[in-house]
Amino acid sequence: METTIKSTPLNSWHRSNGANMADFGGYDMPLWYASVKDEHLAVLTAAGVFDTSHMAAVTVTGPKATDLLQHCFTNDLDACMGPSKKPLSPGRAVYGAFLDEKGHSIDDAIVFFMAAQNYFVVVNAGMGGAIADHLEKNRGGRDAVVLDLTDRLGKMDIQGPEAARILAPLLADPDAVFAGMPYFSFKGHYDPASPLADAVRLKDGTPILLSRTGYTGEFGFEIFLSPDKIGSLWEGLLDTGYAHGIKPCGLAARDSLRAGAVLPLSHQDIGHWPFINHPWPFALPFTADQTGFTKDFIGRAALENPDEVLFTQAFVGKDLRKIAAGEESRVLDADGRSIGTVLTCATDMGIGRADGRIFSVASPDRPEAFKARGLCCGFLKVDRKLSPGEHVDLADSRRKITVTITDDVRPDRTARKPFSEMIASR
Amino acid sequence: MKAISELKLPDNLRYTDDHEWAKPDGDTVRIGISDYAQDQLGDIVFVELPEVGSTFDKGAEFGTVESVKAVSELYMPMGGKVTAVNETLADEPERVNNDPYDSGWMIEIEASDAGEFDALKSKADYLEILKG
Repeated sequence: METTIKSTPLNSWHRSNGANMADFGGYDMPLWYASVKDEHLAVLTAAGVFDTSHMAAVTVTGPKATDLLQHCFTNDLDACMGPSKKPLSPGRAVYGAFLDEKGHSIDDAIVFFMAAQNYFVVVNAGMGGAIADHLEKNRGGRDAVVLDLTDRLGKMDIQGPEAARILAPLLADPDAVFAGMPYFSFKGHYDPASPLADAVRLKDGTPILLSRTGYTGEFGFEIFLSPDKIGSLWEGLLDTGYAHGIKPCGLAARDSLRAGAVLPLSHQDIGHWPFINHPWPFALPFTADQTGFTKDFIGRAALENPDEVLFTQAFVGKDLRKIAAGEESRVLDADGRSIGTVLTCATDMGIGRADGRIFSVASPDRPEAFKARGLCCGFLKVDRKLSPGEHVDLADSRRKITVTITDDVRPDRTARKPFSEMIASR
Repeated sequence: MKAISELKLPDNLRYTDDHEWAKPDGDTVRIGISDYAQDQLGDIVFVELPEVGSTFDKGAEFGTVESVKAVSELYMPMGGKVTAVNETLADEPERVNNDPYDSGWMIEIEASDAGEFDALKSKADYLEILKG
């Protein structure tokens, strides 16, 4: 069978700028340019731009659009915002997953509530068709229209504490855009025909969907726009960001940043096993006491009564040394018995240990002589619940390392910081 | 990623299929990894080297080099006894990226059979492998 590898609109830029390229999700993507370590550190201390046009999106519109998503998406759109679990409002986005009847994840997603009866759903590379089919198959008689936008949108992310300062000069009206933009909110639209398009325009008039979300744990944005406009925005951000220390970043830095931020990679950390007992309970519609669910959805029965009980847990290592994750890897308890496998094992090069705790290169209270040597971190899938602080050994065919179960890895992340702190002049 | 024409491959070294290099230095032979290898691995963050005094056969694994991407084995281009290891790599593993043939060297050995050097690949032969 002939397989074709797709490319994003920035492919020639990556190649002419020395990127080490590889196939990811069926797309020819940059792994890194000159130095993955420098890219990772730039996002912690300045900013980085990522080509994420390989990601897919679908729209769900119509009178019963909400009802269809409530049936298929894990999070409860009527009760997902903030500690008081308010309904999702227009201009806000929420994370969750699409499950099958077995409670297994088909893919994870962010659902953007654009306007009444109008949702934009961002899924992973190559998953637009599968999720559109899944929604259509489960539509029943609901009056809703599902549209796969795969390869019809450009997407790039700018992440890091300098992101807003770098983006501001490229926006037609940055003050208006940045006013009232909390984490997981968005403004604007990628479609010039949308009434929302006027909310965010670049100086050249291009409308963009600007979302305060990302996949690094750091402050910044995901930007959706017409594919033919992404090249000029990409180069524009690199130009205005130069004095701020911006770097183009590849998928390797994206992976190590998200691992340190305890964010899952779909089809690796979540997948064909029950989507429960993991570090992302906010993706499920739990009642306040965490004992039940607030709504019905595909996969609910299986999650309430799973055929296999597995736990996904985050870990952090003693130093930067890692093992090869995957089916061949083993998690060993104190008696050397295998209790599971390693899903992700990456090195966050921006952190290290000092005075008995973990600091990041961006920690305000880091010791004067602190040098981030990097720590390995990631996720395990085990057959019992382990407690934070517990040690286990991870083994591959070559080496064995001791790691600690944890709730969190990289400290002092900026994703949730008040916007005002991120645009104040420094 | 460097194009093959951009790779530095000194004429006076010999190379292996596994991308190590060997360079005679008086009675000993210095060993490291090639510019191609460091470029493929990306940022090297940790180098695990053997104890001075240990002995390995030609082709045996003598250590590992860890990049942000993966952990890779290091193999002996020639058999021999380790007489020195590059201790500076413990703190500055990036030397392997920046200067793979000089300050990024890995071990020094007393070869058990000096004739093994001549069996290693010349720059021209090594280039043929890289070109595939």
